[in-house]
Amino acid sequence: MSTLWEKFLEHGKVEECPIYDMHAHMGSYCRIYFPYGDFDPEITKDRLDRAGIKMLIFCSHWALFSPDIGNRANIDVVRKLPGQLRAYCGLNPNYPEIIEKDVDEFEKYKDVFVGFKLLASYHRLSITHPNYAPAWKYADKNGLLVLLHTWGGDQFNGPEQIRIVAEKYPGAKILMGHSCHGEWDKAVQLMKDFPNVYAELCAVVDDRGGLEKFLESCSSTQIVFGTDWPWFNHHYYIGAVLDAGVSDQDAHNIFHLNAEKLLAPLIF
Amino acid sequence: MKLEFFDSNVFIGRPMNGLFGAVRRADDLLLEMEKQNIGKAIVWHMFQYEGSPVEGNRILAQELAKSEKLYGCWTILPPQTGEVISKDFFERMKKNRIVALNAFPEWHRFVLDNVGFGKFLNEVSERKIPLFLTMGRTCISWESIHRLMRDFPNLTCVLCDIGIWGVDRYTWPLVEKFPRFYLESSLLSLEEGGMEATVKRFGSERIVFGTGFPLRYPKAAILNLVHADISEKDKENIASKNLEKILQEEQL
Repeated sequence: MSTLWEKFLEHGKVEECPIYDMHAHMGSYCRIYFPYGDFDPEITKDRLDRAGIKMLIFCSHWALFSPDIGNRANIDVVRKLPGQLRAYCGLNPNYPEIIEKDVDEFEKYKDVFVGFKLLASYHRLSITHPNYAPAWKYADKNGLLVLLHTWGGDQFNGPEQIRIVAEKYPGAKILMGHSCHGEWDKAVQLMKDFPNVYAELCAVVDDRGGLEKFLESCSSTQIVFGTDWPWFNHHYYIGAVLDAGVSDQDAHNIFHLNAEKLLAPLIF
Repeated sequence: MKLEFFDSNVFIGRPMNGLFGAVRRADDLLLEMEKQNIGKAIVWHMFQYEGSPVEGNRILAQELAKSEKLYGCWTILPPQTGEVISKDFFERMKKNRIVALNAFPEWHRFVLDNVGFGKFLNEVSERKIPLFLTMGRTCISWESIHRLMRDFPNLTCVLCDIGIWGVDRYTWPLVEKFPRFYLESSLLSLEEGGMEATVKRFGSERIVFGTGFPLRYPKAAILNLVHADISEKDKENIASKNLEKILQEEQL
């Protein structure tokens, strides 16, 4: 049995194993009720501290779903809790002029953003679409994170599209949000073929078997932790990871060591 | 404080299309329960859903004989066909340590309402026998659950596998309106703040612990409950006491 499990069970968090949630959101969303959807610095901090979340990297629902609000929703929130929050700059390819402006201004918000978030299934344009190109080039040049919403069989951000951008932009650190959900073998192959591609665990550990397959086939140094918070609960996901037969070293890699390496050049 | 866990949502039997970590027999389940420190469980067999409720119910009863830590959940079909429900049905339940029922109306192709099940579910309601429904496989729609509870407002109903996305907009009206409508916790635990918000709104008495094993990870539901922002008494209720109470009230 994992000694980390015993510590998390007893205390709810473990000092020597901080958690980096690399896939989160913020704010309400019309299709679901979130008990903790509305941002309040004190309440959010309390929820993160309960599970030992050292850093949460998010993209606001409102930034993704409203071009009229845009990334202001991310900037304002990070600056209210800068010790524990960073954001992905949300990109909507249906508004390429906004993408160009956000890329141009990226440098101004280095205290806020660590990369970009693409939600191609919702925006209905492939991650390979030229409208994203300014952001991909910028991420490639500056070693930024790019969080994708990847799903098996998806025509907008499925394994085939990931392969194209991973090859074209080797300097970008591509986080496969949801890890090509359901097409685990293809996610594994992408990680083997591209050192700049990482599995991210949101929705993977809703069921048993996916994480076990990754650990069987790949190194845990290419897996990062994420929850879609405030959709899903941190303790639930921590328990799931620790129930997947991971060694303590694997757990440290997944919960914080890999994220620390990815974020080191980006957080000042 | 160490919580005692009574798992309301596990199955044995291997699905026809395979499932990671599925357990074939009660002995395998007992080993997993021991590993997870889960004391008791209400169990059903996958063949009740995928193959034959009649034969699946029989296999389940046979497996339950192996341990008193396990209680059974039989699958029902419309009384009119006489496949499952017979005159001595409740006696057979008692004899085989079957404490609950489940139904998969969409997959087994029938309508679970007052037309087909009026007399039977009225008796189930009077006897306070819990009926387990799931949103986790082809089983029943939200509209049909709302209709079922309108038809049988005193039914003891436990809704399992409530949904990956938070479903409070569907479930809270049912919890508010029907005093014997319960939520199984495995996917309520998945929702950020779902456990706390439900307890704050309705009290802890309406939630029963479940893991969803072998589909889901038991440690996920356990860690969420142990560290939920609710009182220790609430945690005890959810971990086992609410389900114990349901079974104590049952009249077989």
